Amino acid sequence: MASSSKDSFPTTSNQENPPDELEPGACYESILNPTDSFEEFASEMSSSLQERNILLNTKSSTIHEIQSEIGESLKENTQIKSTKSTDDLQGKEESMTASTSNSNLIDQSEDDTDNEKDDYLQSPELVNKEKHVFILSSAGKPIYSRYGNEDKLAGLCGVIQALVSVVEEQNQDILRSITTKDCKAVFLVKGPLILVAVSKSNESETQLVLQLTYAFNQIVSVLTLTQLNRIFEQRRNYDLRRLLSGAERLIDHLLIFMEKDPAFLLGAVRCLPLPEKARENITSAIQSTCSKIRDLVFAIMLAGNQLITLVRMKKYTLHPSDIHLLFNLVRSSESFKTAESWTPICLPKFDSTGFLHGHVSYISEDCQACLLLLTVQRDAFFPLSQAKHTIAEKLRRSNCLVAINDALNRNEELPTTNPLKHIGIPEIRHFMYKCKSTAQLFTSDPISLDKLQDYRIRHKEGGDICEKKVEKLSDIDYVRNYRQFCAQIHCMSTPAKLIFRSNSHDTILAWITHGFELYVTFDPLMEKDQAIRAVDRLLKWIKREEQRIFIMHAPTF
Amino acid sequence: MEKRVVVGRVRPTWARNLPEAREDDDKSEQGIAVMPHSEPPSPTDTWEQHNKQDDKYDVFGKVMLLGDSGVGKTCMLVRFRDGTFLAGNYISTVGIDFRNKIVTVDGLKVKLQIWDTAGQERFRSVTHAYYRDAHALLLLYDVTNKISFDNIRAWLGEIREYAQDDVVIMLLGNKSDSGLERAVRREEGQRLAREYQVAFMETSAKTGLNVEAAFAHVARSLVAKANPVDPSRMAVRAHPTQEQHSSCPSCS
Repeated sequence: MASSSKDSFPTTSNQENPPDELEPGACYESILNPTDSFEEFASEMSSSLQERNILLNTKSSTIHEIQSEIGESLKENTQIKSTKSTDDLQGKEESMTASTSNSNLIDQSEDDTDNEKDDYLQSPELVNKEKHVFILSSAGKPIYSRYGNEDKLAGLCGVIQALVSVVEEQNQDILRSITTKDCKAVFLVKGPLILVAVSKSNESETQLVLQLTYAFNQIVSVLTLTQLNRIFEQRRNYDLRRLLSGAERLIDHLLIFMEKDPAFLLGAVRCLPLPEKARENITSAIQSTCSKIRDLVFAIMLAGNQLITLVRMKKYTLHPSDIHLLFNLVRSSESFKTAESWTPICLPKFDSTGFLHGHVSYISEDCQACLLLLTVQRDAFFPLSQAKHTIAEKLRRSNCLVAINDALNRNEELPTTNPLKHIGIPEIRHFMYKCKSTAQLFTSDPISLDKLQDYRIRHKEGGDICEKKVEKLSDIDYVRNYRQFCAQIHCMSTPAKLIFRSNSHDTILAWITHGFELYVTFDPLMEKDQAIRAVDRLLKWIKREEQRIFIMHAPTF
Repeated sequence: MEKRVVVGRVRPTWARNLPEAREDDDKSEQGIAVMPHSEPPSPTDTWEQHNKQDDKYDVFGKVMLLGDSGVGKTCMLVRFRDGTFLAGNYISTVGIDFRNKIVTVDGLKVKLQIWDTAGQERFRSVTHAYYRDAHALLLLYDVTNKISFDNIRAWLGEIREYAQDDVVIMLLGNKSDSGLERAVRREEGQRLAREYQVAFMETSAKTGLNVEAAFAHVARSLVAKANPVDPSRMAVRAHPTQEQHSSCPSCS
């Protein structure tokens, strides 16, 4: 990086699109909440102790709003009661499984003498990892560790809890991060939980906070914030692992997913590139089938971590981070592949106080597209199951399944399969584009499912820091390089508008306007004006193909 | 409180599907078929309309698989439905999964609508909601896991509280193929089953031992329940025990 040079020059008018024309991928109505990926987390980072407490307690319930809108006040009452009865049960279930967790804990503590515990922090399971994530309760009880066994990390959790509470109580302040020579430790206190990331990667503090927030949201998504808070109000020393059993897998996958997918970095959603007509057919198949199901809030079709279409109830949109949690749920649950499932899902941004009920199923055996039908009604399984079969039938008849499969298998004939070749700018090695108003993302080399699998396997084995030079960079590696530029562009104090950096490895251009964010990797030693010309052509291509690579409509039921 | 509201909706569906009762039912069902979208129908209604079209069956029953996480509920179901064993990877169920299969007992076709539940604690409230509609419950424990066996009493308590009174219950000790790792003896299972007056079998989803037999027993009980005057009504507990002796070398 010795030869790197950083420039920030003002954007001239001829680079920007004429004001009357929308930027590529933009449309007037969006299915997603447009977000600035960092705004929120930056505010998270600057909030004071009091604000934090207030924030957690003022949440209105969208689900109740919908229920009352449908005129189901009676149902609503039963809903409330049912959550109450669930609580009573918890007491009962506690006695039921208490023996389980107790005996586990006893076994473990008998195994370890104090000496072994000290050594455990030095064990190969934990040493030399690129990034650790620990989650503990504010009482200091371990809940989750990315590597190793959290039972054996009780000592470490005690230290973390002490650090956080000393700063809080003695200085009336919040501990945000500790930076050492090669390592960052970032702390996030959210409600009754403490989340910590210890990283040796090039991610910025904000990016790590973002990841911790996602991990927190993942926990909320399986429990709801209401339940989470209530549990710890009743028993501060509760062992949350009992309720999260089976969900560790979701957090594991989410952390890996965040490392490899730029969607998290930019707070945007990837769409599966499809011919305009095919996407229209799919959307109308869902609309016509579901239009009369009154309690349906969202119908989402996705495949391989990419959105195919989203039909929503009027007035309600989804936040990209909620969609990411849905992607993660579908990706990490093998059991969805074999049967129709009915599962409670809490979408923290949509409504963190309650569950939506989701009918989850794959469209057919020969198509990896997954359909999620989310409703506020807890016994709507059968109508939704029927709707799913009707939709699948319609899609088969209109050849949409073939179109989806082509896109998923990255059929050579599609222009979006190998966009760089199709555009014909040989100097560009990789690019990543986010349309801000619709919160959608496109990269030149979207990672295929098999590659993702490889990455998973590699990470299962280690997640160790390795210095090996890779021959051919993949999407993941490019995105890894963009991280620091992304951090500079979203920097709170002195945000950059345009960054151009050239060295002997490559040339990187990062550019943010009111409408989009663009990151491009060129061959090394590119001239600035040459790069700008290439970017111009690139934007024209995206504009031309926008109907294919983005979802340009915001359909409702 | 809420559970009573829903219990009111449950009707003995298996009885209405018996051959002699069928004709009237078809007519009444036709009437309902126009309105499924105008008002969300109760789960059972929709189900029947949907299936009238594709296949014929004489008796219909909702079966649920229950038990602690990891005792092999999904494996049991996959073995029964597809005849295969999910070896190697542990796939934990999220919420509840739905499958169905038709079995023939004593010349009658019994449609089993099988709900596979997640054993994890956090899904209990979801699974409770579905107990009350169930006609039969298969309650599983893992013979290599004493805790899963100890929890059976709590499960039975919940069943008594949430399920219909006349629900068919069957206790299954799964993973009976795992010889040395066994932590629960067959007699213990039998004793517990006798105490609660439920049928009992040891099964193995891995080898397939008693899997068909367990579901067949459930199907037979549903037939018997639907048609109480049927002279061929069998002795509920005697049957599985016989099969157990003949085909399970590890526990004799």
